[in-house]
Amino acid sequence: MQLAECQLSAPVAGMSDEKGSLRGGVEKGEEPAGTIAGSVFSVKRVEDEEEPMKVEVAVGADGCPDDLSCQEADIDPYLLGLADDEEKCRKIRRQYRQLIYSVQQNRDDIVNMASDTLTEALEEANVLFDGVSRTREAALDAQFLVLASDLGKEKAKQLNCDMSFFNQVAFCDFLFIFVGLNWMEDDERDELSGCDDNIALSFWETVQKEATSWIVQAETFHFIFGSFKSKPSAPKPRLEHQKKAHKMEENGAMPTKLRKLDLSNNQEATEKEVERILGLLQTYFRKYPDTPVSYFEFVIDPNSFSRTVENIFYVSFIIRDGFARIRLDQDRLPILEPININQVGEGNDPSSHGRRQGVISLSLQDWKNIVATFEISEAMITNSY
Amino acid sequence: MLQKPRNRGRPNTQAERERDWARGAAEEAPSTSRGAGGSQEARGTSSQGGRRAEASPEVGPRSQQQLELKVAELVQFLLIKDQKKIPIKRTDIVKHVIGDYKDIFPDLLKLAAERLEYVFGYKLVELEPKSNTYILINTLEPVEEDAEVRGDQGTPTTGLLMIVLGLIFMKGNTIKETEVWDFLRRLGVYPTKKHLVFGDPKKLITEEFVRQRYLEYRRIPHTDPVDYEFQWGPRTNLETSKMKVLKFVAKVHNQDPKDWPAQYCEALADEEARARPETGGPTPSS
Repeated sequence: MQLAECQLSAPVAGMSDEKGSLRGGVEKGEEPAGTIAGSVFSVKRVEDEEEPMKVEVAVGADGCPDDLSCQEADIDPYLLGLADDEEKCRKIRRQYRQLIYSVQQNRDDIVNMASDTLTEALEEANVLFDGVSRTREAALDAQFLVLASDLGKEKAKQLNCDMSFFNQVAFCDFLFIFVGLNWMEDDERDELSGCDDNIALSFWETVQKEATSWIVQAETFHFIFGSFKSKPSAPKPRLEHQKKAHKMEENGAMPTKLRKLDLSNNQEATEKEVERILGLLQTYFRKYPDTPVSYFEFVIDPNSFSRTVENIFYVSFIIRDGFARIRLDQDRLPILEPININQVGEGNDPSSHGRRQGVISLSLQDWKNIVATFEISEAMITNSY
Repeated sequence: MLQKPRNRGRPNTQAERERDWARGAAEEAPSTSRGAGGSQEARGTSSQGGRRAEASPEVGPRSQQQLELKVAELVQFLLIKDQKKIPIKRTDIVKHVIGDYKDIFPDLLKLAAERLEYVFGYKLVELEPKSNTYILINTLEPVEEDAEVRGDQGTPTTGLLMIVLGLIFMKGNTIKETEVWDFLRRLGVYPTKKHLVFGDPKKLITEEFVRQRYLEYRRIPHTDPVDYEFQWGPRTNLETSKMKVLKFVAKVHNQDPKDWPAQYCEALADEEARARPETGGPTPSS
């Protein structure tokens, strides 16, 4: 069908742009070449729909454009005469444009609804085409056909989906039900966004578990103990210390001695205390020579139970180191006696040399009783602070 | 950051074994020192540098030990590279592991694949014929009892992936990006909002899944505003199938897959195509 061919080759610059190149090309009386663009489907569609288009066009095969291979076709001279009727052509063009515009505007309606709007539009175009005698109008007709077939394809696609109906919204709802969340209908359509984090987490976990059973993913490989050879984490604090030490060295002011002292800070405190208390004890012994001091009177602090315990602790060091000794006097009460350095070597009293262990336990009540019994009013070991 | 497997601490025994190998093979082809550098205590950048500064290869008879070592390294390399699920390029393999053993690359790869299958149950497959990229897939079908521990590592993205794959398939194998987001919005996943589980969902779906070759992401021409469409990627067809995805969707709906006849027919045809021997499972080609 020659007519069909020239219809197909008429340029359509774009559905929304029916003027411009379209008219310009036709004015020159040529057959402007161009691509039938407009939508991504249109090119394909034109080829696909070639058959139906031909069928459609066959209806209006009466009109024949005057500037195309008309030599081979039978031209009715009567039609050639009609070609001079500019006014009619203008009217036809206007009608076509109106049709195209209305179809474009109602695009959504046409595609989505099971409506006959498209068929009606096609029939209208058919009628219009009866009066077409020039390329210009024919081009508009072609443009309309492209638009119509575009919509036709979308409609067909819709039909296809309806056959094996997949409803996305239902899929969503089913997902929630599957996971175990029962949302009330019409209630907070924006569910997972507005709700609890925990619910969202558990939703995705559940979906994950189901999903992984339908896919053979290789589990990602990780070393159990991490990817470095396990080293004791001790280096870290040492490193910090060393960093600090390095800093100090860089300053140049700090002597090495001080660094050593810093490290053994904890032990220092105890020793200092012990020495201090020893000093106190020795002062006492010097003041009152040959008078042992009552143990309790020495260690007990009537104002503080915890200080008392600390004192007992420090005195035990003194005894351990041999600067004093503890023994029971005639009343079987413990007393502290000084040991002189020269006494050590004398070996006078074997019992006093023997290493003995004693455990002193003191409860809060005991401490209170002792304070009351011995009438201790103030501590012998004064605080250093 | 992905680091070379040879620098990793291995269980002591294996490290010692490999040190022995390296020591024993030290007199032989210098290419072995590649492995030696890796198994020594000095790992990290120093041995990487050492590897790069490797001496020119000596192509001579290679001992069984050397081959063993190479295969072991290749297996580790593949496993580590697969962590991100991005297909492993052949060029990477050659550059980082094979090196001088390029001439026997196909054999090494075959041996590594066998080991992966035998020890780990993972199959090394080429993503697409002639693509020279490889992925690991599980040969073991998922079982009910493993449900708790399956897909446990890292972010649980498989659920989202399956949903998107299901959407794509049920809507005719291609879907517009706008439709995907319209759907995911109802699940609380937005392209522009930070997600509790997925972080940046848009990035995850349009970049990561695409890089991992689960999805194809193409621009639809002539659209304004610009729209993209999603399709299944090559990896999806290797790791799952239309029938499986349909069954997943059906399970969610608590219905039979046959309730969607068009999709069911398509899935059936796909199954038949897979069952045919010559087009069957992809094999690692050299």
